[in-house]
Amino acid sequence: MVQLPWLLLLLPLATAALIHFALGGSGRLAAWTGTASAFGMLGLSVSLLVGATAEASPFVWLETGMFHPDLEQAITLSLKTDRLALSMMLVVTIVGALVHLFSLTYMAEDKARPRYYAGLSLFLFSMTGIVLAGNLFMMFIFWELVGLSSYLLIGHWFTKKSAAEASKKAFLTNRIGDFGFLVGILLIWGAFGTVDFNALERRVDLGNLPLTGGLLTAGILCLFAGAVGKSAQFPLHVWLPDAMEGPTPVSALIHAATMVAAGVYMLVRISFLIALDPTAAMTIAWIGGGTALLAALLATQQDDIKRVLAYSTLSQLGYMVMAVGLLASQAAYFHLFTHAFFKALLFLGAGAVIYCCHHEQNIWKMGGLAKRMPLTFATFAIGTACLIAVPYVTSGFYSKEAILDSAYAASRPLFWIAAFVALLTAFYMTRLVVVAFLGKARSQYARDAVEAPTPMAFALTCLTLLSIVGGFRFFAEAILPRGFYPTFDSPHHNFVMAVSIICLLAGVVASFLLYRGREKDPLHITPLRRGLYIDDLYTGLIRLFQDGAAAVAAAFDRHILNGFFLGGTAALTQAVGSVFRRMQPGSLHFYLVLAALGIMLLIWATSTV
Amino acid sequence: MTLEHYLIAAGILFCTGLFGMIVRRNILVIFMCLELILASATLTLVAFSRFRLTSGLPDIDAQMLVFFVITVAAAEVAVGLAIIVSLYRSTQSVHMEDLHTLKG
Amino acid sequence: MSPHYLEIFVIGLALTLLMADAFFPAREKRVIAWIGASGLAIVFGLLFVVDPAALPPDTIAPYYSADPHALFFKGLALIATIFVLLLGCDFMPVLRRGINGADNDRKGGVAESFILPLFACAGMMWMASATDLIFLFLSLELVTISFYVLVASMRRQVGSLEAGVKYLLLGALSTGMLVYGITWVFGATGMTKMSQLAVAVPGMTDNIAALTFGSMLVLAALAFKVGLFPFHSWIPDVYQGAPTPVTAFLAVASKAAAVLVLARFLDPFLNNPEIAAKLIPVLGVISGATLLFGNLGALGQYNFKRLMAYSSIAHAGFLLLGILGRDFTLVSFYLGAYVCMTLAAFFAISIVRRSVGRDDLSAFNGLARRNPALAFTLVVSAASLAGVPLTAGFIGKFGVLMGAVNAGYWPLVAVAVPAAAVGFYYYFKIVRHMFWEKPDDLEPLPVGRLSTTALALLTAGTLVLGFYPRLLERAIQDAPIVPIPAATANTADTP
Repeated sequence: MVQLPWLLLLLPLATAALIHFALGGSGRLAAWTGTASAFGMLGLSVSLLVGATAEASPFVWLETGMFHPDLEQAITLSLKTDRLALSMMLVVTIVGALVHLFSLTYMAEDKARPRYYAGLSLFLFSMTGIVLAGNLFMMFIFWELVGLSSYLLIGHWFTKKSAAEASKKAFLTNRIGDFGFLVGILLIWGAFGTVDFNALERRVDLGNLPLTGGLLTAGILCLFAGAVGKSAQFPLHVWLPDAMEGPTPVSALIHAATMVAAGVYMLVRISFLIALDPTAAMTIAWIGGGTALLAALLATQQDDIKRVLAYSTLSQLGYMVMAVGLLASQAAYFHLFTHAFFKALLFLGAGAVIYCCHHEQNIWKMGGLAKRMPLTFATFAIGTACLIAVPYVTSGFYSKEAILDSAYAASRPLFWIAAFVALLTAFYMTRLVVVAFLGKARSQYARDAVEAPTPMAFALTCLTLLSIVGGFRFFAEAILPRGFYPTFDSPHHNFVMAVSIICLLAGVVASFLLYRGREKDPLHITPLRRGLYIDDLYTGLIRLFQDGAAAVAAAFDRHILNGFFLGGTAALTQAVGSVFRRMQPGSLHFYLVLAALGIMLLIWATSTV
Repeated sequence: MTLEHYLIAAGILFCTGLFGMIVRRNILVIFMCLELILASATLTLVAFSRFRLTSGLPDIDAQMLVFFVITVAAAEVAVGLAIIVSLYRSTQSVHMEDLHTLKG
Repeated sequence: MSPHYLEIFVIGLALTLLMADAFFPAREKRVIAWIGASGLAIVFGLLFVVDPAALPPDTIAPYYSADPHALFFKGLALIATIFVLLLGCDFMPVLRRGINGADNDRKGGVAESFILPLFACAGMMWMASATDLIFLFLSLELVTISFYVLVASMRRQVGSLEAGVKYLLLGALSTGMLVYGITWVFGATGMTKMSQLAVAVPGMTDNIAALTFGSMLVLAALAFKVGLFPFHSWIPDVYQGAPTPVTAFLAVASKAAAVLVLARFLDPFLNNPEIAAKLIPVLGVISGATLLFGNLGALGQYNFKRLMAYSSIAHAGFLLLGILGRDFTLVSFYLGAYVCMTLAAFFAISIVRRSVGRDDLSAFNGLARRNPALAFTLVVSAASLAGVPLTAGFIGKFGVLMGAVNAGYWPLVAVAVPAAAVGFYYYFKIVRHMFWEKPDDLEPLPVGRLSTTALALLTAGTLVLGFYPRLLERAIQDAPIVPIPAATANTADTP
């Protein structure tokens, strides 16, 4: 019998293999195969969500003390198909399918379409693996795979130097986080003897933890390091804006809606662990809040339409991480859910604009697009409304209120930071819409732009609908796990809502007045444009470290190794090697003596006399 | 003559063979020393067989092995001498010191 | 069908081919390899239909067992021989140059290079089944003598002859030790059947000195075949000098069969507390020393075949560690994995040797550009030999180390882990040569269809076993290493 969850996991892998090995020659066929498979996944995940048997027997990969069933230390590939996983799966497959659809036109001219679609399918496979993973070990495998597919897709146009650099940067930055993640997993494994989510949760419920105090904090923060890398939190946030070098549909799928949310998803999965340790939780909350603020500040001064959206993604991910740290993982996950739709919508809208403006990404060279692309403008405006949380009619409003509510209850400073971020969000998104869509066209491309073609428009429309209803109780409660939809019944709810509406209005009005009818940016704050010099700092640090390490190694080489051996580390292995080569002189006589001595030693060592 | 006498004689034979293998440099002589080792093994076998009587008769298993050992030794000598002769043809030497192309 | 017909079939096939080649010499010697390989493939198929219960109880069964381990190793020997024959086909131009008179078909020829592996294969299949020390000795000698000829078969090359002589003398020494050891085991117990020994030895208290003496001699002889320190010294020279297909055969099949025999032979002795108290430290020292010598010796190597020789010594150390951990299913798995990855590496060596003319590591420079697919298979093979996760080699090493940890052999683990880490360095050296070094010429390197298929199968095997190790476990079914038929257990006469 075929178990649907396994099918869901293996379908995209099979598609990727099929496209890579069999359909390498035909871009059109690859495109349609990939799209069909993505819609197939959507169908599977819907059917799982509405009640098909989600049972999936685990697959035992490796056991320690292999082949001995009595030792229960198996490394298992098991799937966890609870409502959290299935709802996340729905988000991934909806956005995945629509992005495939969108790519049909967006990538139509591309010469390497089979590679692109194979990459997308590989990504869907790895993402499904993360979402359905039943234990941390399996999650880690797919965590790495997702990094790999993201690397491949960011570098899709690898002949462009910036794209190749960006993909490398994303990969390497993620490695740092992943290293922490691995250490965390090993710590948990060592202490609890299991990495299975169910078993861990049972163990935590029993109380009397094997891991306490500083070690527990360290373990949780190590796991969190994985999320810092993948969800691009400060200080590892630098890769995400650069990742915008990839094709825009990829940015929509991977770097806005799904992969970057995987970090938050993982934190929600292990929220029962985070709740054990207030120190770790508070650290997580502050890193999230700090990232939200930092990214929102940087977003106000970006000129590239995709980079504005990238920083806004960072900032929203910061919100989610902050909520997890404030032990409101339900609110975090709800925001993840709504954000996926409207951020994918915004990215695809940006993609449509870029497509229609012949790959112009600078918003100051657009303008007046509202008239030429009315549908795109309408959908983009709705997406913006969701992001800046226009009250009652948008999904973003409900999820952001949930986070602000919990922030107000848990930590006042973080609440005010979050409110200020909401203001900044309204400011930079209004700036984006005003500059790109309103006013006069400021370049030839913008003047010649026409409405997006049908498949794109269809994808945009679908996402617009989801962006609106995503926050409504009837829709969200049907999909989210029980108790994840906020109740909004706290006593301070009205105050929080008033603050957020004031922030919204202040941001929109200020931005509108400042940017309406401008030909170029009236503000020019260099530190914000340069990302607060964090990138430069890292480059400098890396150079310093490399140079320093090289200098130390050279000195060590020259003064120590050379003194005893003959030139550097290579000589060390050569030296060891040559010692052993000398023990193997090729002389038969020596071999015979060695064998005879061996026999005598054996007999001597075991003689009873 | 007891079992021990035979075993000691065979042991001396074995040690002579092993010692010869270590000290001699001529490949043919070494090969002959190997035959000594096999001979000591057959002598031991026959001795054990002769002194382990099952229902009045020597143990057949061991004597069977003796014949096999002799056969195998003959086969080994046939192949071994052929290889040594081939080596002599190509290097004009059967001394171990002249085997030095493979080392390190 | 009774399983003992399998070997008879193989021997029959070999004799038929030998006679056919003597009386009706074929112009194209490839035909012999093809017939041999297809015959062995049929025998491999028969392996799945034989019925171990059909063994004639009085005539064959006392000497011959068809337990799951034996059948598994027969399969391994058959697969290895088939691949070696295919490898030989590929390697024929080099063989022809190395053999007197092989250029014109009339006089001498390369046919023996294809027929002798069949005899050796039959010998190894018997080794896997032998439960009587006499029978074991005979089958082992069949293998060894076939190998003497095979190793020295490139008579025009001093290297091959020199390897042949070294193998001959040290091999004959091990034969002597084996016989003398069997003699003493017989003298101490009055038994030559392993099933009887398995019952009697664990409880023995008299004649322990004689028994230990004999068993140590047998251990030395088997250690020689497996390549354990200090009896490993022939391996680098012989591997380097022998023709590549023969080296592959030695490395893979001969070692696998010897490991099974070693495990079978040692089991009763490890179960006797008095002997085990001395034996286990000795085996531990041997295993540790073998690991060190294999891995450290490989560091300074420039010749790929010699590197593989040291790698094979290192793997022998791991295998002995597995035997010490008493998990024979794991040892069998390790060997299955080892066969796949090592054969793939030797196929690559042979292909490169044929077109570049050398088997130094520098001959592999820039292989990634000259033939990316071949480079990929070699990367998989090297990764598996080094023990990178998701390859078969990883599962083997991981299991062996875990077994050692569970058994509490901490000093051994302390040696084995760094040794494995050193392994990464020299296997990575191969990868470095293929990907980073500049090649002498950039001509694409052609690979025949036969080799392509073989390499694809072996690489797939390495990866599949890495992903789904239980596949092999199913074949072995966790049977005891020394099969004890109910009948012999009752009639075993104690001395």
